[in-house]
Amino acid sequence: MRGSTPRGGEGLRSGRGGRLLAVRSRVRMDEDVLTTLKILIIGESGVGKSSLLLRFTDDTFDPELAATIGVDFKVKTISVDGNKAKLAIWDTAGQERFRTLTPSYYRGAQGVILVYDVTRRDTFVKLDNWLNELETYCTRNDIVNMLVGNKIDKENREVDRNEGLKFARKHSMLFIEASAKTCDGVQCAFEELVEKIIQTPGLWESENQNKGVKLTHREEGQGGGACGGYCSVL
Amino acid sequence: MAADSEPESEVFEITDFTTASEWERFISKVEEVLNDWKLIGNSVGKPLEKGIFTSGTWEEKSDEISFADFKFSVTHHYLVQESTDKEAKDEVLEDVIPQPMQDLLCMNNDFPPRAHCLVRWYGLREFVVIAPAANNDAVLSESKCNLLLSSVSIALGNTGCQVPLFVQIHHKWRRMYVGECQGPGVRTDFEMVHLRKVPNQYTHLSGLLDIFKSKIGCPLTPLPPVNIAIRFTYVLQDWQQYFWPQQPPDIDALVGGEVGGLEFGKLPFGACEDPISELHLATTWPHLTEGIIVDNDVYSDLDPMQAPHWSVRVRKADNPQCLLGDFVTEFFKICRRKESTDEILGRSTFEEEGREIADITHALSKLTEPAPVPIHKLSVSNMVHTAKKKIRKHRGVEESPLNNDVLNTILLFLFPDAASEKPLDGTSSTDNSNPPLESEEYNLYNQFKSAPSDSLTYKLALCLCMINFYHGGLKGVAHLWQEFVLEMRFRWENNFLIPGLASGPPDLRCCLLHQKLQMLNCCIERKKARDEGRKTSPSDNVTNTYSGDAGKSGDQLGPDNLRETDKDKGEVGKSWDSWSDSEEEFFECLSDTEELKGNGQESGKKGGPKEMASLKPEGRLHQHGKLTLLHNGEPLYIPVTQEPAPMTEDLLEEQSEVLAKLGTSAEGAHLRARMQSACLLSDMESFKAANPGCFLEDFVRWYSPRDYIEEEVVDEKGNMVLKGELSARMKIPSNMWVEAWETAKPIPARRQRRLFDDTREAEKVLHYLAVQKPADLARHLLPCVIHAAVLKVKEEESLENISSVKKIIKQIISHSSKVLHFPNPEDKKLEEIIHQITNVEAIIARARSLKAKFGTEKCEQEEEKEDLERFVSCLLEQPEVLVVGAGRGHAGRIIHKLFVNAQRAATMTPAEEELKRMGPPEEKRQNLAADFPPPAGRELILRTAVPRPAPYSRALPQRMYSVLTKEDFRLAAVFLRRCFHVCWRRNNRMR
Repeated sequence: MRGSTPRGGEGLRSGRGGRLLAVRSRVRMDEDVLTTLKILIIGESGVGKSSLLLRFTDDTFDPELAATIGVDFKVKTISVDGNKAKLAIWDTAGQERFRTLTPSYYRGAQGVILVYDVTRRDTFVKLDNWLNELETYCTRNDIVNMLVGNKIDKENREVDRNEGLKFARKHSMLFIEASAKTCDGVQCAFEELVEKIIQTPGLWESENQNKGVKLTHREEGQGGGACGGYCSVL
Repeated sequence: MAADSEPESEVFEITDFTTASEWERFISKVEEVLNDWKLIGNSVGKPLEKGIFTSGTWEEKSDEISFADFKFSVTHHYLVQESTDKEAKDEVLEDVIPQPMQDLLCMNNDFPPRAHCLVRWYGLREFVVIAPAANNDAVLSESKCNLLLSSVSIALGNTGCQVPLFVQIHHKWRRMYVGECQGPGVRTDFEMVHLRKVPNQYTHLSGLLDIFKSKIGCPLTPLPPVNIAIRFTYVLQDWQQYFWPQQPPDIDALVGGEVGGLEFGKLPFGACEDPISELHLATTWPHLTEGIIVDNDVYSDLDPMQAPHWSVRVRKADNPQCLLGDFVTEFFKICRRKESTDEILGRSTFEEEGREIADITHALSKLTEPAPVPIHKLSVSNMVHTAKKKIRKHRGVEESPLNNDVLNTILLFLFPDAASEKPLDGTSSTDNSNPPLESEEYNLYNQFKSAPSDSLTYKLALCLCMINFYHGGLKGVAHLWQEFVLEMRFRWENNFLIPGLASGPPDLRCCLLHQKLQMLNCCIERKKARDEGRKTSPSDNVTNTYSGDAGKSGDQLGPDNLRETDKDKGEVGKSWDSWSDSEEEFFECLSDTEELKGNGQESGKKGGPKEMASLKPEGRLHQHGKLTLLHNGEPLYIPVTQEPAPMTEDLLEEQSEVLAKLGTSAEGAHLRARMQSACLLSDMESFKAANPGCFLEDFVRWYSPRDYIEEEVVDEKGNMVLKGELSARMKIPSNMWVEAWETAKPIPARRQRRLFDDTREAEKVLHYLAVQKPADLARHLLPCVIHAAVLKVKEEESLENISSVKKIIKQIISHSSKVLHFPNPEDKKLEEIIHQITNVEAIIARARSLKAKFGTEKCEQEEEKEDLERFVSCLLEQPEVLVVGAGRGHAGRIIHKLFVNAQRAATMTPAEEELKRMGPPEEKRQNLAADFPPPAGRELILRTAVPRPAPYSRALPQRMYSVLTKEDFRLAAVFLRRCFHVCWRRNNRMR
C-alpha cells in the first residue's frame, strides 16, 4: 500500500490549496486544529474493529478486548500534510441486535471504515449487507468509505488481497489490508482516509462558499440607456 | 511621467506647474495604459470571418485614470482571436493600413445581433474607450471635449498605437463617441452626429448617399461605386389572438377542494403576463450597389417581403411575474418573521384554554380506563369550530384568519382518514397510488432532506405555502399550524395514528419536523397496542406462532422498502399485543420516575415467587433453528424482545454528545458501555425467561454467534465430538457481558421496564411542535417546498422538452442537495436556489408563449413542424435567429401573418376585406404599408474606397453608418485621409 502519497485528487487539491490554508490559519487560534472529523468503524462482530482503533489511538494491542456494547468513542488528533485534524472515531458493536442502534451514528459521519477479517470469509461475504446499510442511513452521499481487511498476521487467510481490492474498486472505496496486532497498515489506513476526506470538497467544511455549480445566468445586457455598453439597435 | 521623458516640459513645469502638468500627466497616463496593454505598433490579423462578432468572445480590460480630480475609466474592448501573430508586430510595416481601418470595409459582420455599439457602427474588432468613470458624470463643454480629443491624438501619436481610441462625450445615454485612429501615413477621425429629430432628407437612401459623397468630397468623377447594406427592423408588440392564457388564480372561488382552480397539494405554475413582449424582425439587404434600388422620399423598393435575409429576435419581459417563483419566495419570507404564533393570533394559544386542559385530563383518565371507546368520526370539524370560537372569544368579532371552508378543506386534505367511518389502523398510512417508490423522483427527499412527496409533512408544506399566498398570509399560517398541533394532540390522546407517514422509526434522511411526526406516530402505535392489549383477554398467550426472526423484527427500518415494512409491521403489531397483555402494573406508570419506582417495588414483591414458581418458559418468539440448550438439550428459543427506542436526529445528537462527554478513558468507556447495556440486559432477561435454565453460552450463540467457538475434538473413545466454548474475550473475568448475565433475571419483555417511554416522548414532541414559531416552521418545511417546486418545474419541462432547462434543473438539484444538507443553510444560498427555480419557470413560460405564437402544435406537416420547433427553440437560446427562406419560408410566412394581423387590428379593417387583399402577390405589393408597420429602425452602411485628400493619393476606406429610430437619428462616419505629420512624429520618437 502506498503511504500518504499524492494521487487522483491532487489537481483538485492544488486548486483548493489557498482556501485550505486560509481556513487553517483562521482556526489556528483554537488548538491549531483544522477540523473535527467524524469517523465510524463498522463490520461483523469479532473482526477486530476495536483492536484497530486501540492500535491507532493508543498504539497498543490487547488480545483480550471485551466485545463492544453499543458504541464506543475515541479521539485522536493527527496531522496530514501539515494539517491537523481531530478525529472523533465511533466504534460500533458488530452484533446483529446492536445493529438496530448503530445506523443512528452514521449521521453526519464524513468517513466510514468497513472492516472484515481476512481469515474468515463469512465476514467478507457480509460486506454487502453493511454497504446496504450504509447507503440507507448515511445522510450524505459524498461520504468517504474505506475497506480494511484485518488480521493479515494470521496464517489461515481465507480472503485473498485481490478479492478485497476488487470489492473496493467496485464500490469506489479506499482499500488497505492491516493487522492491529503487528501494527501493519493501521496508521496508514486512518491517514489515507483523513486525507481523502480533506480533499473531498464540501465534506469537511460546513461553510463552503463559492462551491458547487455556478448557476447564475448571464444577465440580460444593460440594454441601451446610460451605460454605453452592449446593445442591439433597439 | 511626461516630465521625465521630455526635457523641455520640465522647464515649462517650473513656470506653470499646476495647469500644464495636469494635462500632460493625463496624456502620459493614457500612454502608460496603452503601453501596459501592449497596444503599441501594428498587428495585422486575419480578415474577419463571417459571424465572428457573434460567435467569438469579446473581452474587456479596464483601468482608471484621472484628469486633475476628474476620474476617467479606460476600457479596452477586443475580440479574442486565436492566433494573433504578435511577432509580426516587431517589423515596422510602414505602408500597411492599420487593421481597424481595413475592417471598416469588411462586410462579413454587418449588424451583429449583440455587440458594443461602436462595433456595430464601425465594424471594429478592437478599440479603447475613455469615458467618465462615474455614471452620471459627463464631458459637456466643447472646450473640454476638444481638450480630451487632443489628448487622445497626442497619446496616439506619441505611442504609435494603431488601435482606435474613443472618448465618450455628452451624457452617457446619448452614446456619443468621438475618436481617432492613426497609422503610418494615415489618420482618421471617427465622427458622429446624434439628433433627436431627423432632417427629412436623411430618412432615405438617396439623401444619405448625398451626404456621404459630399463628405468624402472626392474630386474623381465618376465616383467609385458605393457599397450599401441595409437593415430594417420591424417590431411586433400586439400579438392579437394569442393572448396570454394564464390568469392569476381567482382567490375567492372555492370549489370542493380547489381554491381558485388550484388544488391544495399542488403548486401553481407559469407566468401571469406574457413573458415574450416583443418580436423584432430584421430584414436585411446585405449587399446592394448604388443604382440597383430606389429609395427616396416618394418611392421605395425596399419591401421587407423581398429582403434576401430575415432574422428574428424576441424581447423577453424582464422578470415576468411567475406564480411558482412567487409562491416559494413568499413562503421563504416567513422564515424571517420573528413573531410567535401567539403574537400573531393575538392570544395565548394553549395555556389559557380551559377546554384543552379538560381534554388532557380526560385523555389521561382514559389511560386508566380498561376500554377506551375510540371515536371514529375524527375531530376535524369539531376542532375547527372550537378553534374558531376560541378565536372569536379572544378577538371579538374579528374574522379568524382562515375561514371555515378553507380550513375544513385543508384538514380533510391533510387527514383524509378523518372523513372515513372505519377505525384507523397503521397500515393505512401510505397509499400506493403515488409515484413508484424506487424512482429517482420519489427519492429526491433523500437529497433535499425534505420528506417523501406523499407524506403528511410534504402536504402540510404545500398547504402552508398556499395559505400564505392566498388565505391570510402569516396569520393564516399560524392558524393552520395551531390547528395542526391540536390535531396531533387529539390523535395522541385518542390513539389515532397520523396518516401519511411511513411506519417505523424516524427516517433520518428527512427533515426534523417529519422525524418528529414519525416519532409521535411511534408513540401512538405503542400506546395503542398497549391499550388494545389490555382490552384483549388476559388468557391469550400466543407466543410461538411468529415466523420472523429476531433480527427482522428489530430491524424493520427500511423506509425505502415500504411494502416489506408493512408486512413486518403486522407482525410487530401482533407481537406487541401479545407481550403487552394483562400487564397493568407495568403500563400504568405515567411518568418515568414513577414507573421506575413502581416497577422496582413490583418486582421486589412479586418477582421472587413468580420466578420460583414457574420455570415455565415465557415470552418466546420462535425456535432458533435447530439449536438446543447446552445442558438439557431443550430447543433454544429466541425471545420476544423490546424494540430499541426510536430516535429523532436531535435526540440522537444529544445522546451521542452525552456518550462522547464521558471521554476516552477506560472508566469513560466502561460507563458508556454500562449506559448502553440496558438493551443487552433486557434481551438477556427475555432470553432467560424464554429458555429456563440456560447459560451465557446459549445466549451468546444467539446473540453473538462468533463468540462461541466450536472445534472438533477426538474424545477418549476416539469419536469426533463437537466441543464448543466461549471466545477468549467473553471469558474475561467480570467483563460486562458476564456481569450483565449474572444480574439478569428471567423476566419476559412484557414485564420489563420499558426501554422507550412513549408517554414522555410524545409529550416532548407535542411540546416541540407547539412552540414552533411560523418562522421555525417555514425553515423546517422549506426543503419540502423547494423539493415540490423542483418536481413541478421538472414536470412542466417534460411537456416542453427543452434541453437547456433539463441541464439547469440537474444543476439546481445538485446545488440544493448540497445547500440543504447543512443544518442552517444561509439565506443567500436559499435565495439563489429559489431564484434559479423562478428562472427556469420563466424559460418554460417563454417557450410556451413562443410555441403558441408560432402555432407549432397546429402545424400538420411533420417536417415543417420539426423545423418550426427547432426555430422556436433557437429563438429562446440565441440572440438572433436567421429565418430560413426569409419571407417565403414556413416560419417567414407565419411571422408575416402575425404582422398582418397586428396591422389589421391597428387599422380596424374588417377581417373579410383583409382576406380578399391577401390574394395574388402583385396586389399584395401595393398593400405593403398595411402588412408591416413602419420600420422601428433603419440602419444603413455606406462604404467605398477613394483616394483622399488628393486624386493621386492611395485609395482609402470610407464608411458611414446611419441609424434612424423613432426618437433618434445617428450618423457615425469615418473618412480616412493621408497625412504626413503623424508619420514624422512617430519616427522621431520611437524606435
